[in-house]
Amino acid sequence: MSDVLVRATDLQVHFTVRSKGLRRRQTGAVRAVDGVDLEIRRGETLGLVGESGCGKSTLGNALLRLVEPTGGTVEFDGTDVTALNAQKLRALRRRAVMVFQDPYASLDPRMTVGQTIAEPLQIHGLHAGNRAGRVAELLELVGMDPSVASRYPHEFSGGQRQRVGIARALAGEPDFVVCDEAIASLDVSVQAQVLNLLRSLQRRLGLTLLFVSHDLSAVRHLSDRIAVMYLGRVVEVADARTLAADPQHPYTQALLSAVPVPSPKEERNRERIVLRGDVPSAARVPSGCRFRTRCPQVFEPCADHDPALLPVADAHTAACHLRNASRISAESSTSA
Amino acid sequence: MSVLEVNDLRVQMDTARGTAHIVNGLDYSVSPGETVAVVGESGSGKSVSVMALLGLLPGHARVTGTAEFDGKNLLAMSEPQLRTVRGNGIGMVFQDPMTSLNPVLTIGRQLTEGLLAHRSASSKKAARERAAELLADVGLPDPKAALDRYPHELSGGMRQRVVIAIALAGNPKLLIADEATTALDVTVQAQILELVAGLQSEHGTGVVWITHDLGVVAGIADRVLVMYGGRCIEDGSVDEVFENPAHPYTRGLLGSLPALHEADGEDLVAIGGTPPPPTDLPQGCVFWPRCPVRADARCETEQPPLVGIGGTHRAATFYPGVPA
Repeated sequence: MSDVLVRATDLQVHFTVRSKGLRRRQTGAVRAVDGVDLEIRRGETLGLVGESGCGKSTLGNALLRLVEPTGGTVEFDGTDVTALNAQKLRALRRRAVMVFQDPYASLDPRMTVGQTIAEPLQIHGLHAGNRAGRVAELLELVGMDPSVASRYPHEFSGGQRQRVGIARALAGEPDFVVCDEAIASLDVSVQAQVLNLLRSLQRRLGLTLLFVSHDLSAVRHLSDRIAVMYLGRVVEVADARTLAADPQHPYTQALLSAVPVPSPKEERNRERIVLRGDVPSAARVPSGCRFRTRCPQVFEPCADHDPALLPVADAHTAACHLRNASRISAESSTSA
Repeated sequence: MSVLEVNDLRVQMDTARGTAHIVNGLDYSVSPGETVAVVGESGSGKSVSVMALLGLLPGHARVTGTAEFDGKNLLAMSEPQLRTVRGNGIGMVFQDPMTSLNPVLTIGRQLTEGLLAHRSASSKKAARERAAELLADVGLPDPKAALDRYPHELSGGMRQRVVIAIALAGNPKLLIADEATTALDVTVQAQILELVAGLQSEHGTGVVWITHDLGVVAGIADRVLVMYGGRCIEDGSVDEVFENPAHPYTRGLLGSLPALHEADGEDLVAIGGTPPPPTDLPQGCVFWPRCPVRADARCETEQPPLVGIGGTHRAATFYPGVPA
């Protein structure tokens, strides 16, 4: 059994842009995910962080084939997911699930909490004899009273609804859970409750978790490793502590320095890298390194070549010419 | 002399579920050049408390108390009087720049509208020139060309810059920002915060910054006011409140934040339960049903007053600083 549960290789999700009118010619493409290589190891929590429009949600969706990849492959436990037929895909959907962002939109208001959680059990034909018992078990697992099974979503707060969403996701005993901005719409004090719950579930059930979020502090808290995305590409991967303490890619450095820290003393003393300009549109990706239009350390090769995601240290990769160049020169000087 | 002095501000509204007590006695003041942050979770009454100042609440809202701006009570003003204050005396920036800009008018039209209405420009041509200056001040690239653009042609960060330019067009003495950077990415948020701080120190503008983000507060505020259930439950200088949080709610809020540089494996100290709805506030201390300290029966029946606990630091709890 391989150590890696999910592997994306050169994964692409391009959305075509068509002209208005009858002919609807293709006029361009939004390169939401544009050549991503990523490994998610069994039993780990991988944080996927980036700003809006960087493609992190699309990547999460593409790993579960909730959007169709337009190129590359996704392997789940050794099988190529992109080649599965509808029937095999359904079997995958039991093992690989999603917790959505908005607990107000992701629960059917006309179904009771119990029906919502039992639905995946019906679809996959699980626990046929004792579905009510399994629902009660799942509610207890997410810290809710089993008696709430007969109630409707509108009777619950956002945090409780998100617990219901998590219970539904866990119904079929999945191996892999994608949490797409699962705490973004919750209040601060409630976010902490859900973060604690996700962490204890991940440990108790040995889940493999992909935690997609724009909130670097939350990602740092929950994840074993972190991947940083910018404009459709993964630009840096490292274990969580290293990434927070010693970021190598200029974008990660700027992102970390922009995260507000709840300590006035620290805020007064920190040096902030304020990036100029906005993220370019994914329909007009810059040539060469896609971060070069905002990079404070841009130099010659950046416009010409697209940097590959290469090791910069042990278990630490970054896609930056500056890091790669310094590494190559360091290597040649040690070997000389 | 303060720019703004709010005394015993209260807002109530009748709803289908009974009377909502949204703001229940708020006192604070803002000095020139000072930033006061109002912090709270959704439903704490932080947004309503500033909308009440500018007369932006629906007609059935009952607003009492006083709010002295420039020596005049905002809450006693007629609509025409308020209109001269809005924009000219007090600028306002809301959360979502797409809804605060008119999608069918050009940026230039929306900026010059205010300048002409408040007579800070004599002609259309002068107003356009001033508008271009304002856009340059907020760091919009190519401000002249931006005047002829529509909001949808700009990114979220650029739109929020335009909204700030509009808010600052009348050289207001006070700027009210309601979750002004919440919808923006952190790298763009950092740009906007830097921009506001620069403009503020240049013009001596007083700022009321409403947010739920304690990290932003730590970076920009001089004073902090923590709201819960429509009340101020703790206030003080930013150092007093962050270094020695006294109220169990403030302590809980700070404890529930994941930190970038933390030891691995520790659970967050979450506050159990959810905030109370304004139609159904608990008797006694507003926080007691969720309070981890909750030491005696008094908390359930008696409202702890907001009292000084050293320096400018005040807290509304019977047990300031007592660990859970």
